[in-house]
Amino acid sequence: MPNHFLGVEGASVSFGKREAQVRALRGVSQFFERGKLSLVMGPSGSGKTTLLSLLGCLLSPDEGTVFVEGVPVNGLSEAERTVVRQKKISFVFQAFRLFHSLSAIDNVALGFELRDATLSGRMEMARDLLVRFGLGDKLNQEPNELSPGERQRVAIARALAGNPPILLADEPTASLDAQAGRNICQILRSQVDDDGRTVVVVTHDPRWQEFADRTITLCDGQVEQERNL
Amino acid sequence: MKLAWQNIVHDRARFSVTVLGVSFAVFLMVFQGSLLAGFLRAASRLIDASDSDIWITARGVQAFEFGTPIEGRVRELAAGVPGVSETSRVCMAFAVYRTPNGQQQVVALVGADRNVGKRFPVPEVLGSAEGMTPDAVLYDVSDRDLIQVTALPAEVEVNRHRASIERQIEGYGAFLGVPFLFTSYRNASRYMGFGPEQAMYVLLRVDKGYSTSDVQQSLRQRLPEVDVLTRDEFAHQSRRYWTIKTGAGSAILTAAVLGFLIGLVVVSQTIYANTMENIEEYATLKALGASQALVARIVLTQALICGAVGSIVGLLAVVPAIGYAKSLIPWIYTPWWLLLVMVAPSLAMCSLASIASVRSALTVEPGRVFRA
Repeated sequence: MPNHFLGVEGASVSFGKREAQVRALRGVSQFFERGKLSLVMGPSGSGKTTLLSLLGCLLSPDEGTVFVEGVPVNGLSEAERTVVRQKKISFVFQAFRLFHSLSAIDNVALGFELRDATLSGRMEMARDLLVRFGLGDKLNQEPNELSPGERQRVAIARALAGNPPILLADEPTASLDAQAGRNICQILRSQVDDDGRTVVVVTHDPRWQEFADRTITLCDGQVEQERNL
Repeated sequence: MKLAWQNIVHDRARFSVTVLGVSFAVFLMVFQGSLLAGFLRAASRLIDASDSDIWITARGVQAFEFGTPIEGRVRELAAGVPGVSETSRVCMAFAVYRTPNGQQQVVALVGADRNVGKRFPVPEVLGSAEGMTPDAVLYDVSDRDLIQVTALPAEVEVNRHRASIERQIEGYGAFLGVPFLFTSYRNASRYMGFGPEQAMYVLLRVDKGYSTSDVQQSLRQRLPEVDVLTRDEFAHQSRRYWTIKTGAGSAILTAAVLGFLIGLVVVSQTIYANTMENIEEYATLKALGASQALVARIVLTQALICGAVGSIVGLLAVVPAIGYAKSLIPWIYTPWWLLLVMVAPSLAMCSLASIASVRSALTVEPGRVFRA
């Protein structure tokens, strides 16, 4: 009996039409265990990001089922999938995707607000998170005033606002230097170890293997290899 | 909502352009609205200044300025109708005015009985306590250049009759480029060559115990050869004539609508550009769990902030501009409510302008967040 906490079963996704059609995933069945850090690796165009989009309820498969916290989410409307993202899932992006006009603390506070608009003390909680990530002296800096490593830490703080159980990261260290990248790896690892979060990281970066529990390698839209580390 | 505010103030140049667009539209709308309001007011100003309840005019008279003679006995017949407590007469005709230095000028000569109403600019009413002669002629201060009087009293000619200009008044300036001169009915009828058997407008007051419409009905039966209108009806008819039938009001109204449309396009363009510049942020918001309603609210809030700030700037600019314009267009008039009322269309304009932007923000795919 597979652990259906987070995953896909028989998932196929195609983009484009007729001759231009690209099959990004071909009947992939893959589940990610609760409280583990899993890597999704593979060459460009292998379907890694498509798989992450399915897990993040940003995309629906043409065929197959997507499970989030053990519940199939295929049949949900766009609004219902938005609620699933709001309550359960959080993202970290390669390009950080911080709101350029907001300060670091406002970015994180917005993360809290998006999860629960009625929550009070958002600014205090945002400050605590940023202090925890060593950004206590950068609270009021705008993203363009921060280094790439600092921006990614702000982005992770925003992702953790509201304490979502699932964290999906797309190439989170691709834009960072070695030291900053390692720092991000450690932070995400601590989310698994300290908070029991489920983390899925799409990456080309071999440094991640040191921090992961499991690796899945995709090739041409299919799972080529699974490995527990 | 902080994001909405921060997004627009972050790009100050774009925000300034948006605010400028809105304020320009508001300026134009209020200015044109003031022209229209002033035009409407001027079109019935003398009718409104009378204290009468009913005006009797020749058949088919469209506006005060175009009265034609009626029989003088109409006044006596009207006075005999039950409910009529008082009658008075007003006449108006274009006349040739010769300035003190001998130049000629067409003027609109208005004469009225002293009981026509306290606000009506008649020497016998206005000047009784100030030593004016009963046949004095008055002119509006804004027409000084046209009347060419340097000192008062001034001896002039009206339709080749000697006349004495004795006082300036305010608020009755040239409406059609032709200055008004005001004098007593007796004097005016002499200048116009009216005999006692003629009248132009007969004004009636209705006894308190009678209904104006009942008296109007009785008068219509008694005097089928003339028009019997309440003061409001005649004022409305006069305004309607000048604004709609002459096309002048339509032109002003069109300019006001154009102001709205220009503002709409400018604001729409800048808000849309602002939204498209931040489209990736809207995708991120949606990926992070923002509802469609929240995304729409952010775009709309940005539009409304631009609308509110632009309205304030526009109003701050238009008030002194209208003050200055009064020296050139004496009849321009800004009712206080116009300033408040114009905020609503400007906000509506911004909301309307944000529709395309809201649509773009709502349809953006959250899945694009993974594109580097």
